[in-house]
Amino acid sequence: MVPLTADHITDLFRVIAARLMEARTELGVLDGVIGDADHGNSMAEGFAAIVRASSDAAMRGAPAGDLFPVAAQSFLSAVGATTGPLYASAFLRAGKLYTGRIEIAPEAIPSLIPAFADGIRERGKAQPGDKTMLDVWAPAARAVQQAEARGLDPIACLDEAVNAAEDGREATRAMVASVGRAARLGERTLGHVDPGAASATIIIAALRDAMRRRERAVR
Amino acid sequence: MMARPAQGVESDATVPMPLRFGDDTLLWAAWLYYEEGLTQGEIAEKMGLSRASVNTYLADARTRGIVNIEIAPDRFRELSIAQALKDHFNLQDCLVIPTDGDGRPLIARLGAAGAQVLKSFVRPGDTIAVTWGRSVLALAEALDHPGLADVRVVQATGGTTARIPWTPEACASRLAEALKARCIPLSAPAIVSSREVRELLLREPVLAEQMAILAEANRIVMGISSLRPESTIHTSGFLDGIDQHSHYDSAVGSIVGRFISARGQPVLGPLTERTIGLDLEMLQRIPQRIAVAGGIDKIAAILAALRAKHVNVLVTDTATGRGILNAEGWTEPLRRSHPEPVLPALSRSHAKKLINAPQDAVDECLGGALLAHEALIAPVPGTTRAVMAAAGPRTGKVAIVIGGGSGHEPGFWGFVGRGLADAAAVGNIFAAPPPGPILAASRAVSGGAGLLYIYGNFSGDVMNFEMAAEMAEAEGLRVRQIVTIDDIASSPLESRASRRGVAGNIFAFKIAGAAADRMLPLEICEALARRAANRTYTMGLALEPARLLDTRRPSFELGPDDMEIGVGVHGEPGVVRRKLASADDCADLLLDRILAEMKPVHGDRVAVLVNSLGGTPAMELYILHRRVRQRLKAHGLVVHKSLVGPYYTSLDMEGVSLSLLHLDDELASLLDHPCHAPAVTVLER
Repeated sequence: MVPLTADHITDLFRVIAARLMEARTELGVLDGVIGDADHGNSMAEGFAAIVRASSDAAMRGAPAGDLFPVAAQSFLSAVGATTGPLYASAFLRAGKLYTGRIEIAPEAIPSLIPAFADGIRERGKAQPGDKTMLDVWAPAARAVQQAEARGLDPIACLDEAVNAAEDGREATRAMVASVGRAARLGERTLGHVDPGAASATIIIAALRDAMRRRERAVR
Repeated sequence: MMARPAQGVESDATVPMPLRFGDDTLLWAAWLYYEEGLTQGEIAEKMGLSRASVNTYLADARTRGIVNIEIAPDRFRELSIAQALKDHFNLQDCLVIPTDGDGRPLIARLGAAGAQVLKSFVRPGDTIAVTWGRSVLALAEALDHPGLADVRVVQATGGTTARIPWTPEACASRLAEALKARCIPLSAPAIVSSREVRELLLREPVLAEQMAILAEANRIVMGISSLRPESTIHTSGFLDGIDQHSHYDSAVGSIVGRFISARGQPVLGPLTERTIGLDLEMLQRIPQRIAVAGGIDKIAAILAALRAKHVNVLVTDTATGRGILNAEGWTEPLRRSHPEPVLPALSRSHAKKLINAPQDAVDECLGGALLAHEALIAPVPGTTRAVMAAAGPRTGKVAIVIGGGSGHEPGFWGFVGRGLADAAAVGNIFAAPPPGPILAASRAVSGGAGLLYIYGNFSGDVMNFEMAAEMAEAEGLRVRQIVTIDDIASSPLESRASRRGVAGNIFAFKIAGAAADRMLPLEICEALARRAANRTYTMGLALEPARLLDTRRPSFELGPDDMEIGVGVHGEPGVVRRKLASADDCADLLLDRILAEMKPVHGDRVAVLVNSLGGTPAMELYILHRRVRQRLKAHGLVVHKSLVGPYYTSLDMEGVSLSLLHLDDELASLLDHPCHAPAVTVLER
């Protein structure tokens, strides 16, 4: 399989950004029920900033592996909020996988997901079951690790991650928020999908779709 | 127990009384008649009674107050939730008890309800498997039974740690005792050290015989455990030495010592082949599977068990039952006798706003503010999202840096100026500022005596300010942080540290600013500001939600006659919804809660802030202020200072917050210290 250059990585970010932009209102509505309704904006603006910063960096000849710290910084600066530090930590952790690499092999892409999960877990200190984005990232990460252990190809690994993410997102309906703004609502958060879990699922599915499209194109 | 009528000898045509009616025949008759709309004749047939008896029952139900114009709403709720659970999950039966009961703990009442259920099902010759846990032990303890012939009670898993009173052994032996039944233990630990040990043990004739009896069970009584850190599965030592994250991340609960996913599928891990006892396949072969479980932390786990049909008789409480159903998209039915009027669409659904592009609003607002108050505030170099006092840093003075999301104007830049904060960083609408502008502001205003960050307790603000503090410290700046928690509605007193910081912040800013202006050292400034923050109590209510700039829609929905108590200043919904009351009643409601926590004594001094959340005009604020002052006077308190106006808003949310600062001499003197900022000015005496 053809390795990904800095431009290809930027394209992945672009697909994610486009999906989040489409979902912006829907995520805002989810967040309005149990939070402050800014989640759609934060995610869309944050990924738009990532696309701008990484395409600039790619144009200046940055290696593919160095786009992740760039993404971390640009997301954090654009967003702040709660998602800023969480996704910045996720991108920094992912960046450690690829430091200095000029190109990234497609086989190394699914590992982004466990790295994201670790970064988010450490910064946010949430537990599975707290009704947060971690309820998607953690099972998706586990699905990737299991799929990799079974020797599946990258697209199949990402398919497994998407399935686990969707299950994780739906599972947040039955959870009572115990971290973050929604925690103050307690029982009233029941029945609602956590907005962070919803956007995490969008990111994972977009990553899979972008990789799949690319594999078809380069085949 | 209420005697069932003699003519009601059960025939095949008679439906046994559904569990959810407990043993209240009158309630059942009333339900069939008033809620299911059956005729008296149909009820007679269904209940195995004569029509005349049904008639008497219905009359009795009225005189006993079970049926007046409405069935007691709580009972209705229990019944309708039980019915919905039974239908939705295709259960054999379901019993739902009130969440708030007679003062006994929920576990004890669930146990008693479970005992009642088991009593109605148990038959001679039964083999009943039993798991462990608090609810199961409570059931065994509540059970009182004359005893039946040839009943066996068998442990469903091996034994667990003796650290807990509700071990499998204890649950099984207590239940056997209560049923006067024979108790069959499983003579092995539930978790053994390896797969090999398990296989060896299962070959032992004693254990093999016990396992064979377990396989003959025709009923099981079980608990359901969540995987939350405080759950039974943790306390019973099941996961000792196992890293839950690396193995059971995808599990949401556990039954019979087995882990299940959100869909109820087995989650395999290192314990799977080291567990002695029933597995999920064996469980499914038991015809009647009674689960006793409640508590909102268990909802995900119970839902998973129901989805996979591991359970076919459920005993739970109303809040848990409703939570399970809500998670499945069910909404509570409206009462037939009380048709709620269909409400017209919200009149404020689309707002008119004086903005240009929504994404430019924050920067344009800040730009306008800087021009309006150029004598007082100036931009921080290197960022567009922070302002500083125009006077600039003063050598040897502690610098106060505040901040938070935008949408709270005049927060936060309105509190920057001489005698108040030295700088403020703002984020996007309702979103914490990133570390960048906080750090830029810190550098710009540092006077060499250290920095004090003050901000409200929101996870975003906490994370970003903490990151900024780490970066500032790496540059050699000294930083102390105060996270304010004045919103008393946002969490009970026991978990005070998780409360939000809202409008009462401005008292902390004022005290900190005055202390710094008096050139006190960092530790003293911090201690004084912390004292002010800890003695500030705020509670808010909203009449209408804020409408966001880019969607121009409300951030949450509120009915035309409702108000939301305990709203957050970021546009979060509140904690309780009530019918809208008069200004005086609202003032009383806020004040009573605040005084109950503050516990002032006669003659104490307070500062008052009646704050508009953006959409409520001065007239209403002053009406409230009038009442607050009346009440404070009647309470024997002296008001040292009152602030009335929009100080800490939430876009155009209609509503108010009331904050009280419980003063002492030192805080009163600092409150009087002169300051000059866009939103607050205190003149030199």
